[in-house]
Amino acid sequence: MRERSLPGDPGPSLGRTIDDLAQLLPAQGPISIFIHHNTLHAFEHLPFEQAVEEAARRLDREPYLAESRYRGKLASGRILARDVAALLEAQLGPRGAEDVAGLGGRLALWQAVVLHGIPFAAGRELSWILEETPALSRFRTDLPADARAALAALVEQVDDPAGEERRVVRRLWRACLEAIDRAGDPPRAPDPAPPVRHRDWLRIAYGLDVDDWIHPPLIRFLAGYLDQGLAHWAMPGRDRGIHGCFLELYGTPLASQCGAWARTLPRIVADDRAEGRDALASIAHSLAALGVPEGEWRECLGAELLALRGWAGIVRQIEERPDRVPARDIMVTLRGYLASRLLLERAAVDEAMRRLSLSGPPAALRAALRGRRPVASPPTAAERAWTLFHLAQLRGVDASLVGQWTPGQIGELEAELSDLDEVRRRRILHQAFERTIRHRLYDALALHTPPAPPERPVFQAIFCLDEREESFRRHLEEIEPACETFGTAGFFNVAMYHQGASDAHPRPLCPVAIRPVHFVAEVEPDRDRLAGRSRRLQRRAAGFLGYNVHLGSRLPVRGALLMTMFGWLALVPLILRVVFPWLFSRVRVAPAAAGGTRLQLDRRGLPPPIGVHNGFTVREMADIVRGVLVDIGISPRLSPLVLVLGHGSVSLNNPHESAHDCGACGGGRGGPNARAFAQMANDPRVRELLAEEGLRVDAATWFVGGQRNTCDNTVDFFDEDLVPEVVRPLFARAKDAVGAARRREAHERCRRFDPVPGWYPPAAALAHVQGRAADLAQPRPEYGHATNAFCVVGRRARTRGLFLDRRAFLVSYDPTQDADGAILSRTLAAAVPVVAGISLEYYFSYVDPSGYGSGTKLPHNVTSLLGVMDGAQSDLRTGLPWQMVEVHEPARLAIVVEGAPERLWRVVSDNPALDRLVRNRWIWLACLDVRSDALWELRPDGFVRHAPQHPLPAVAGDSATWYQGKRGFLAPVAIVAASAGAPSRRAIEVQAV
Amino acid sequence: MMTSPLAGLVLAGIGAPLVLLVVLGGASVLNRPLGERWTGPLAASMLTLSCAALLAALVVHGATSAGARLLSYGARSGGGDGGIALELLVDPLSLAFAALSAAIAGVVSAFSNRYLHREPGYSRYFVLLAMFVTGMLFVALAGNVEVLFIGWEFVGLSSALLVAFFHERPAPVSNALRVFSVYRISDAAMLSAAVLLRHAAGTDSLALLFGGAGAASAVALTQGNATLIAVLLIVAVAGKSALLPFSGWLPRAMEGPTPSSAVYYGSLSIHAGCFLLLRSAPLLAHAPAAALLAGALGGATAVFAGLTTRVQSDVKSSLAYASLTQVGLIIAEIACGWTTLAFVHMVGHACFRLLQFLSAPNVLHDLHGMEDAIGDRPARSGGLLETLAPESVRRRLFLAVLERGFLDSILERAVVQPFERTARRLTSLDRWLCGAPMSAGQPMAFEAESRDD
Repeated sequence: MRERSLPGDPGPSLGRTIDDLAQLLPAQGPISIFIHHNTLHAFEHLPFEQAVEEAARRLDREPYLAESRYRGKLASGRILARDVAALLEAQLGPRGAEDVAGLGGRLALWQAVVLHGIPFAAGRELSWILEETPALSRFRTDLPADARAALAALVEQVDDPAGEERRVVRRLWRACLEAIDRAGDPPRAPDPAPPVRHRDWLRIAYGLDVDDWIHPPLIRFLAGYLDQGLAHWAMPGRDRGIHGCFLELYGTPLASQCGAWARTLPRIVADDRAEGRDALASIAHSLAALGVPEGEWRECLGAELLALRGWAGIVRQIEERPDRVPARDIMVTLRGYLASRLLLERAAVDEAMRRLSLSGPPAALRAALRGRRPVASPPTAAERAWTLFHLAQLRGVDASLVGQWTPGQIGELEAELSDLDEVRRRRILHQAFERTIRHRLYDALALHTPPAPPERPVFQAIFCLDEREESFRRHLEEIEPACETFGTAGFFNVAMYHQGASDAHPRPLCPVAIRPVHFVAEVEPDRDRLAGRSRRLQRRAAGFLGYNVHLGSRLPVRGALLMTMFGWLALVPLILRVVFPWLFSRVRVAPAAAGGTRLQLDRRGLPPPIGVHNGFTVREMADIVRGVLVDIGISPRLSPLVLVLGHGSVSLNNPHESAHDCGACGGGRGGPNARAFAQMANDPRVRELLAEEGLRVDAATWFVGGQRNTCDNTVDFFDEDLVPEVVRPLFARAKDAVGAARRREAHERCRRFDPVPGWYPPAAALAHVQGRAADLAQPRPEYGHATNAFCVVGRRARTRGLFLDRRAFLVSYDPTQDADGAILSRTLAAAVPVVAGISLEYYFSYVDPSGYGSGTKLPHNVTSLLGVMDGAQSDLRTGLPWQMVEVHEPARLAIVVEGAPERLWRVVSDNPALDRLVRNRWIWLACLDVRSDALWELRPDGFVRHAPQHPLPAVAGDSATWYQGKRGFLAPVAIVAASAGAPSRRAIEVQAV
Repeated sequence: MMTSPLAGLVLAGIGAPLVLLVVLGGASVLNRPLGERWTGPLAASMLTLSCAALLAALVVHGATSAGARLLSYGARSGGGDGGIALELLVDPLSLAFAALSAAIAGVVSAFSNRYLHREPGYSRYFVLLAMFVTGMLFVALAGNVEVLFIGWEFVGLSSALLVAFFHERPAPVSNALRVFSVYRISDAAMLSAAVLLRHAAGTDSLALLFGGAGAASAVALTQGNATLIAVLLIVAVAGKSALLPFSGWLPRAMEGPTPSSAVYYGSLSIHAGCFLLLRSAPLLAHAPAAALLAGALGGATAVFAGLTTRVQSDVKSSLAYASLTQVGLIIAEIACGWTTLAFVHMVGHACFRLLQFLSAPNVLHDLHGMEDAIGDRPARSGGLLETLAPESVRRRLFLAVLERGFLDSILERAVVQPFERTARRLTSLDRWLCGAPMSAGQPMAFEAESRDD
């Protein structure tokens, strides 16, 4: 798909440079196949803290939350001061004991600064603070206890404490000003980096932003070019590539009307066309025309790409995976985009020079502007005194002591504070925050004494490892203590292109790293009979009607007829859907496909519409089934009924709908995978093959596939009619339990939804979540993966009965059945990249919602069917919207693996991708001993045994006993059956909160 | 002259949103915003009340009389000059449009209450929505120029402020300014029409233009005056309803939260101009030249917007131009004198487009559903014009509609830049005359841009 360049061109190296720079772009594909990924994937080779700070600088984003947010968490107990102290001690080491400028040990100094902060203020803001706020008449109210005591002693023995305090504070401020005066000039700050793009130069020097000129037409062009079917009239010439199409379209004199700035655009475009330049040659020519020396190309092109990073990113994504978009007639290359962009930019620079009366060729502009480079202004005396003033207060030092500071000491203090700058304070606070969260899990796992698993489980259920299933599994186990649940990647080892009976196109259902080779179709039993045909006809008629309304409403004449005759009818759905969504959700449209459809799993000779094979061979099926049964450790203890449940999510008015679907199915819905797996496992030929290989599946065992809708909590089972007579009573019992679990799980989720009161009964909660799913006005149909923080890889027996607040991915793995670590290796390789991607995407979208995330949903505007823009026009917004992440806690995932530390370490080191994530601490790793309660945390110096700090309270009853009426995060507790005689609930709350 | 139940019902209908505006706005002014707990239910009940009262008034009016009535509240000194009275012109048309406005606003407020949940601008949004509904009802029921103008301004101001709802980003603010400046042109035309009306006919009663109540009618005006007033009104309508050549602001107005875009540019505000023209149909009938102008503007707008919507690749612009297509047709229908058709068309369009706008974020879901039902991707043929024209023409046409008719750059070159140049020349003239250093505090950027051609 890439445009080739001739040898001798600047091509090869320029092409490589562009490919290289493309890594900085957001790697989000089309929004309807949303795949969670690490937003800073390009920085994964760096340790996490270094990476986020480096990215923050290069991409102009936030590395951590604002300092004030962490301080709020300190106040509310989500961060423990002792964690901050422990971290500082570890980081400073022996340096912590050194004395700093007579103010005491460094550790104490840093602790005071990190825990209490030095508010930043400069320029006029500082003047305002000094003049209009009580900063100079009162000591800070949030001082450490020792400092407060020392300062209070100064004003204690007088009649007028308030007046005296004011005098003391003013003296201190004056002393600080004098100290700065004594200290002399500050060390010179480095000049800000020189601008890279012409636009930056012009903006700094003249306040003229040429991006405001070129971005609107560029976005319109690009959106039109990439459009996947929203516009009725497709852009002509899309087969020529972005650059070729641009030349065709803008080659007319009309193009000069694109804006008052576009006078020279037709000439520039015509020149490119006449010379027959391809995209790379055009880029090279444009850069030369703009006077960018070859040594600066890389930097310059990087900045050009980042100027509209969302759009450039989607161009790159389509270039790399053209199979993921429906439009087949377009040729998309990043170089094509860059070439077009630079042509527009040249026209804009021409016009800017004309308006500014700058003569000479554009190539000379950069040189001409070099003299107008900004210089860094040194901090003023007041700004420097301000930090000292706070430092003195934090350490409880009064004016007389400040008066004794020598210039050397002052320099030392200032150096210390610039070492402990704002980013570093945020880093430390963030690390402490994560440590607090993570250690609660470690404590719980180390202390939890799980109930004995059922000797012979009545039924078993295999779920996706998704953390949203944690609550569902917990409730199911509470309802039916004799059942057993498992978790594995939700595509159940079945990687396929699947086409449902009512789907227009097949779609891949497997992790994004895999390109499936098998195609599977769902077929209706009566497909060729009259009933099937008429149903299909009805469906098509309804589809055409819908499409014609959609299209007709946009056309003049058809639209006028439609509006005049039927327009007012829209009031009915309008009022129903907006005012009574819960009612509307009852009115279900008849199912698109008849009951009794089947999956065509068997290998057939017909060529598949996509992929390589049509269906699976028995051998392949057996491998798939064995893979799951062995890896999750279920094979020796299969019960007569095994439910296999995939998941997906359906919601309305939500462009990010697919982000709530199953990550292991590549942003698709995992029901078909569960169904295929069950069908394979029930197949006698497969069981025969498995038995030959020593994996015996009892003839009485039956698998049933299903799908849970995580938004409205519907659970649908497939192929129920095939369930053998003997298993039916058991299946009915299991369905009852699942039904009850649906209600309870909805109830638990409701505690996070704002307008739902705490006393809501479970039955009403189910109606509530169903209403949410059907509500056009609901920007938060569900909270998706928000709050995810943990991942436990091990036997459910270790976590069963533990309330993990829907925060833990649970992967089933039985170390006692894994002799050589091969299973662990497979399990981690499949699960960790997926869960780490989810966790990190949520991290970045929360930490910088409008930078890494896509901001608030409310003005989102679906564009080209590929993504969303803010309002009328903007860069394509990548990442998650704020409404999806607002209840999240941004913490890296803490993964705990059951097994032996040495083996875990070996498995991780053998897998380069895993090793990189773990070594650079993009995830936290810990190991839970198989036989004992010991838990080892991976620290830089190896596995260290974790000493629990919090007791694990036990709550008698069910999960609701613990969560009901509570909104915020809940600590892990052990839920024990009411009969077990645990302490009363009230006593526990006091203990645990 | 006035039956009291009707007057009471109309007053309740128009008063409920006004009370809402006063309560919400007052609480915000006192820096004690009501919060979500009270705002949502209050807005819902007030708008339901308003809608119910207006529907009841429609029924009462239909049962008692057929003609239009002028309801006057508040004292008014004689002779037509002096005090301002709240005069409402009540007939089936105005009552039906008012009731529809209240109903639609009610649905949108219910939508917004959930959609804007936990949004920092929640209270501000509802104050502006209340201001908007009040303005719409004033426009719908206006019986004199003062009431009409207050309503017109309320609609315009709240519209611009909602476009700038996300004021932490620069684009919404600059687009809101653009919307606001077009609205000012429209307002100026409206005000000029009012002044001319009073000058020519000695009254500010709209009954004169709208016909109906009493003996007053457009016949009292001379042909020339009637045409002039009608043309000024058409300019006002063109600004408010984004007709050519003002269409450029419409896609730029899509910056606010989805429901505000829906209620303004899909449903009500965009039709305010149509409604005004519909009311002025008697005047238009008396001024055929103006009617011709209106018809030409409407038709040209429909053709332009109909072509433009075809190439829009984002859902909100696509819907904005689709709306504009229908608005252009409605204006043309009014110009042809088909007022009943135009009214039905307008009501149908307001309801339908509102639903479409509110479910705009659902477009992916909807299109996938249709595609699945049809069994394939619907073919994108383009219209006859696009397929039959020779390729070079097609390309140019495509560029022209992709760039939205170049309206923005034409306006910038033809109006904005000359205006700025004149202003600068006047400034330098002042400087020359007074010798004062006028540019002392001016930013360099302004100077830098000030080079003449």
